[in-house]
Amino acid sequence: MNLKSLLLRRSIEILVVFGIIMTGLFLLFHAAPGDPISMMVDLTMTPEDVERMVAQLGLDQPIWIQYLYYIKNFFTGNFGTSFHYGRPVIEIISERLPNTILLFTTATILAAMAGVWLGKIIAWYKGKAIDTWTTIFALVCNTLFLPWISLLFIWFFAYWVGWFPLSGMMTPEIWVNPEAGFFAKAVDVLHHMLLPLLTLFIVNTGSYLLIMRSSMLETIKEDYILTARAKGLSEKQVRNRHAAPNALLPVVTSVGLSLAFSVNGGALTETVFSWPGIGRELIFAVSNSDYPLAMASFLFIALVVLVANLIVDILYAYLDPRISY
Amino acid sequence: MKVFFLFSDFYRKTIAASFLLALCFVLASCSNGEKDGAILRIGMIEEPRTLNIWLASDANSRKVISLIYQPLYTYDPDTLDLAPWLAQSMPEYDPETISYTVQLRPAKWSDGTEVTAHDVVFTVDLIKDFQVPRYYSQWQFVKKTVAIDEKTVRFYLAEPRAIFLTRTLVNYIVPKSQWAPIAEKAKTMANPLIALMNARVEKPLGSGPYVLAQWREGAFLHLVKNDHFFGSGIEISNRKLGPHADAILFKIYGTADVGVLALKKDTIDFFWWSIQPGYIEDLEKDENTKVYLSDRSALYYMGFNVRKPPFSDPAFRRAANTVIDKNFIIERVLQGYAARMDSIVPSENLFWYEEHLPRYGQGLSRDDRIKKAHRLLSENGYTWETAPVNRSGEVVTPSRILLPDGRPMDDFTILTPPADYDPARATCGVIIQEWLKDLGIPASARPMSFGALLQRIKDRHDFDTFILGYGQLALDPDYLRSFFHSANNRPGGWNMSGYSNPEFDRLADESVQAMDPRIRQELIRKMQQVVMEDVPYIPLYNPAAIEAVGEKRFTGWEQMIDGIGNIWSICRVKSTEADM
Repeated sequence: MNLKSLLLRRSIEILVVFGIIMTGLFLLFHAAPGDPISMMVDLTMTPEDVERMVAQLGLDQPIWIQYLYYIKNFFTGNFGTSFHYGRPVIEIISERLPNTILLFTTATILAAMAGVWLGKIIAWYKGKAIDTWTTIFALVCNTLFLPWISLLFIWFFAYWVGWFPLSGMMTPEIWVNPEAGFFAKAVDVLHHMLLPLLTLFIVNTGSYLLIMRSSMLETIKEDYILTARAKGLSEKQVRNRHAAPNALLPVVTSVGLSLAFSVNGGALTETVFSWPGIGRELIFAVSNSDYPLAMASFLFIALVVLVANLIVDILYAYLDPRISY
Repeated sequence: MKVFFLFSDFYRKTIAASFLLALCFVLASCSNGEKDGAILRIGMIEEPRTLNIWLASDANSRKVISLIYQPLYTYDPDTLDLAPWLAQSMPEYDPETISYTVQLRPAKWSDGTEVTAHDVVFTVDLIKDFQVPRYYSQWQFVKKTVAIDEKTVRFYLAEPRAIFLTRTLVNYIVPKSQWAPIAEKAKTMANPLIALMNARVEKPLGSGPYVLAQWREGAFLHLVKNDHFFGSGIEISNRKLGPHADAILFKIYGTADVGVLALKKDTIDFFWWSIQPGYIEDLEKDENTKVYLSDRSALYYMGFNVRKPPFSDPAFRRAANTVIDKNFIIERVLQGYAARMDSIVPSENLFWYEEHLPRYGQGLSRDDRIKKAHRLLSENGYTWETAPVNRSGEVVTPSRILLPDGRPMDDFTILTPPADYDPARATCGVIIQEWLKDLGIPASARPMSFGALLQRIKDRHDFDTFILGYGQLALDPDYLRSFFHSANNRPGGWNMSGYSNPEFDRLADESVQAMDPRIRQELIRKMQQVVMEDVPYIPLYNPAAIEAVGEKRFTGWEQMIDGIGNIWSICRVKSTEADM
């Protein structure tokens, strides 16, 4: 099968899976108890108020009519209006998404690079102290509970030592100052980004390091590594040019999917660091039955992950000529 | 191979980027030094969702809105009586025409135009035309609103309604100039109410002490002093109003932990959020922070489904009330930062609170509670194979209770919100379950998601007992009627227990029309007596509002019921730097 037919087949698969996800999401949200209006414990909301709101939002329609509207709206690019923000969900997502990508995608890329590099090195020193300690460190990092370590870092680096701002994405005092220029504002955002970035980097690096290390350990048992050594290549050349590129394959899958999932942000990380990303919105939308916002966010994430899967498949064929579709 | 080399190139770029980041970090550290003494910095736990007054339902949105839009009357911080705010004086009531006449004080909108009676008429008409949820029920009995002149407005009521003064007149007034075009456009849409609620008002025109200057969504809100604020320099309720801070910055902290750190680090002057008691000790050690403990108008309670036996039996409910040790809950679960509740109306609401109520089990030891509850149940036909109190008068482990018809009582559940939503209520469920088991009552606490919980209790009436709470009850106790009037015993209605008592209904109906506050006070107090005799709800506790401020830059916070986060504080706090 050539690349063209692979693309066609996978695109059809993606469409089918996406359709299933769309329907599943709709059913799940509507099966969940409570609707966005009746969930409000607000004594000023009378049952008549609730009925009126439910009718105005179209939530009193039979479920299949709601479903048809949902499908129609999706294909006409209308993702609806958030019940709580009163704004188009597309506007909210496009406002929050760049923040999430800035933090989480950067963290994933940096962590993958560091993890791959460290994994490659320490696999070469298997059984030595450096391997043992680095592996232990990676395991610890990988199992750290993110909100806990985030709070600890905030307390130590931001509160105690005072190197970083406590949370958020910008210092309001700088942003409301008319004299502050673009550079000062850009620096301010970077300054706010460092601590969450560092936290995510530390936690994520461990997993990439472990994947790369174990992949390297498998690869160095291969005959072509022995051949490379027999040819008289230096250890560094064997490691960097022969072992590492081949060991990269499993890491590519992991990094590819992590990059795709990074658009999901992280509800807990974003909450602890008050980072205005999509993860917090997702949690808010789900817990407050803000259907349009929640469903559009999930659909967006599903689409990115499905497309990332396809890209990883193509990348596989490119990285490993033995693989053909 | 190529890809791998590309990665190597990435490494080099990463090192360069790291240097750049480090440089930025140093520069940012330097630029953080500037501070404006006249900016009041307030921390919030979450960002407001909207500043559209008709849509806003979350507490944070309403906090910001309360500084922009203003009502005709507000509550005096000392007495909790009505105090004229946008109004010049107290309203004049004419029983003949069932009308109230209100005189407006000289006041302007933030664009410099006059606040007139036409704005008031427009606001009322808009609420009624669109039947705006939350507001409509408070205005629907107002038959007609007329602007007598530019500064005088008269409200004609369809029938006498006591809540008109204490609930209706404390609602916000919006400017006609800004909202009329929005309302006109909304009326042409398929769903006018939704169109109104979703209308985006970039710069809301207000009559309050501050106006919105900038809202950087996801990051902060910047409010600046409203130069046209009617209260500037005048005295209301014996308080000379400012505001004194030039601007307010609302900063968002996702968790209370970080908010408290921000306070200690002097990044904010006030964290507008009721914090957990666990922070108090730490904050009190810090010489720059001050903790305020305030009474709240809140109610946390256990409710019964009185539609089904044995919960329909008042004796059973009284026995359950007797065995519940509220003081234990307050001391152990809430670390002492709550007030015991023996009525549905908080005792801090002095004017309406009824003091002479049965205090089931108060002051008794655990054994004495069991004995008293046992006696109550025995007298009403409940039996046991092994009673909780044996013939020698000792408390023993009982067998399952037998109902008056001789059947053993079925297992039942105490529904509570989950621990991550409210650990106190979830813990109370478990503790109460154990106390009830001391009487052989087979209870089991069951935390469930809040949505599912409400649906079962409020919409489907499919429950036995539950523990819920209202964090901010209105000061007017009309909620008694909502909770217990039989007319509200319907799916989605607020009489979730299904309580029905003709005497209570009569008192409640009378209280609605009692225009004389003293007569209404008497009725409201009687209503509390009736309810607490029947105990469809067991009031448990009223948690304290625990708030903290940084004292370095601003002083003069006004403490009233529900805390220091109120319009009086915002109008009164002064910069300490200005004093120097």
